[in-house]
Amino acid sequence: MRRAALLVMALLWASAASAQRAEPPTGSLPGDPRGLPPSVPAAPATPDLIVDLSQPRVSITSAFQGETLLLFGMFDPPGEIVVVVQGPAARETVLRKERFLGLWLNTGRQAFDDVPAYYYIAASQPVQRLLARGTGGEILSLADRMASVRSVGTREDADLIRFRVGLVEVKRREGLYPAAIGQVSVQANRLFRVELPFPSRLPEGIYDVRAYLLRQGRIVAAVSRPLPVGKVGFSAQLAGWADHEGPLYGLGAIAMALLVGWLGGAVMRRL
Amino acid sequence: MEIYLPIAEQSMNIFVLLALGGAAGLLAGMFGVGGGFLATPLLIFVGIPPAVAVASQANQVVANSISSLQVQWRRGNVDLRMGLILLLGGMVGSSAGVTLFTYLKRIGQIDFVIAVTYVVMLSAIGLLMMYESLSTWLKRRRNPEAPRGKLHTHYLVHRLPLKMRFYKSKLYISALLPLGLGFLIGILSAILGVGGGFVLVPAMIYLLGMPTTVVIGTSNFQILFVAANVTFLQAVTNGTVDVVLALLLIVGGVIGAPIGARLAAKLPGVVLRGLMAVLILAVAVELLTELLRTPASQYSIGFREVVP
Repeated sequence: MRRAALLVMALLWASAASAQRAEPPTGSLPGDPRGLPPSVPAAPATPDLIVDLSQPRVSITSAFQGETLLLFGMFDPPGEIVVVVQGPAARETVLRKERFLGLWLNTGRQAFDDVPAYYYIAASQPVQRLLARGTGGEILSLADRMASVRSVGTREDADLIRFRVGLVEVKRREGLYPAAIGQVSVQANRLFRVELPFPSRLPEGIYDVRAYLLRQGRIVAAVSRPLPVGKVGFSAQLAGWADHEGPLYGLGAIAMALLVGWLGGAVMRRL
Repeated sequence: MEIYLPIAEQSMNIFVLLALGGAAGLLAGMFGVGGGFLATPLLIFVGIPPAVAVASQANQVVANSISSLQVQWRRGNVDLRMGLILLLGGMVGSSAGVTLFTYLKRIGQIDFVIAVTYVVMLSAIGLLMMYESLSTWLKRRRNPEAPRGKLHTHYLVHRLPLKMRFYKSKLYISALLPLGLGFLIGILSAILGVGGGFVLVPAMIYLLGMPTTVVIGTSNFQILFVAANVTFLQAVTNGTVDVVLALLLIVGGVIGAPIGARLAAKLPGVVLRGLMAVLILAVAVELLTELLRTPASQYSIGFREVVP
């Protein structure tokens, strides 16, 4: 029995490793291989935690409507699993509407640095209980992560909090901060899986997928994998032209409109 | 069926976009104006970011105007001299407009300015048209034999300098008038993503006193080049032209336009103008309530920038 389990583990490990070799992250953005957190003990002889994704990347094609990826893996019991997925951080400007002469107008604005484009946390047990025991600030709930976001400029504290709440509210509405804490389901006490929901309006970049194995509230193993999110095929081509070849793209758009308008008009009048 | 719009960066139902383009085309065919004034607010309403909606709509206007210009040109309904002067103003106006647009987007006020400009423009024009068609209708009812009046009335504006003769329009007016009008339409075109036909056509009739036969062709001529200029500048400075979105709107418009033209042929002009006035006013009221109503959420995200 023990032997069989080891064999399965080895096979899974091999497939995960080959998957990583065969599908290197092809995103053009600079990677963020921060590697393992300092709180993790140096490479154990046999891995305690193995993780893979159902897809090596999220491809935004012409038919993209958002996607759900499956993260699955295996761990050495006992322990609890926490998964954190983070999109690339950027500066976001939050606008606030206020009533001005009876009209609702964007009057307030506040920029925040280091805002993750996407943030999702899932755990095999209620997160509060896991995090309360202290993981050295390694694993952050969404609220804790947002609390660490830096504001640009100065503003009264109470108001700053309102802007911060507003930012989370907008991101949540767009599906970029899935509200609920996801459930990592564990089977046979050593296999786990969790679904990662990605909405249709998804910023591009290299996302960071991390899985942690916790025992008695301490991180004993962590696996980090980059997940490139990007447009592919026709969409990528068009967006690339729009970004880098503005004048050419503009002329192309005009030519397209002239051609379709002319031909379409001529054809429809015949009918 | 959903399609991903690469510049708007979201997926949207194909048929919703085709129907939107179709409605704009229907209006274009019926009233001879672009229908952009309806399509842009509706695009924003279904969730396309205003900056993308405006820029892509300008691209659609190019297709729309070439297809009606085709017919008008063949019928000799284009006053080329008037068109070129309008165009000169339009080019300057639309270039200034795109710069203004970029600035407003930067300070986060573009949505508000788009909405307010729409409300002001649409309600002014809607009320004017409503008044005009109602009074014409009442006059005709009271006295069907009444003479149609002078060819055109002379206003104060006809005393401006730089007078030019426009043979096709049978006009002798200052070139400053069409130049200024073109300039204003250019700004509108850049900020609202419309051809501006809904302003230009009434202005040419009531302000310049042009005969109705050449109005549509001439305005189409001006709008074609101004919209092309806006598309180009938006693509270069803001990168907000979504060709996939524009193509769907164009295809819808191409199908809608002849249907509108056939409908228009069956209705008398007064009724047609009255209908259009009602439509314009309805859009204005809807936009105004949007501005007055307490929003579902006070917060929105302006823009995202990756800071190294």
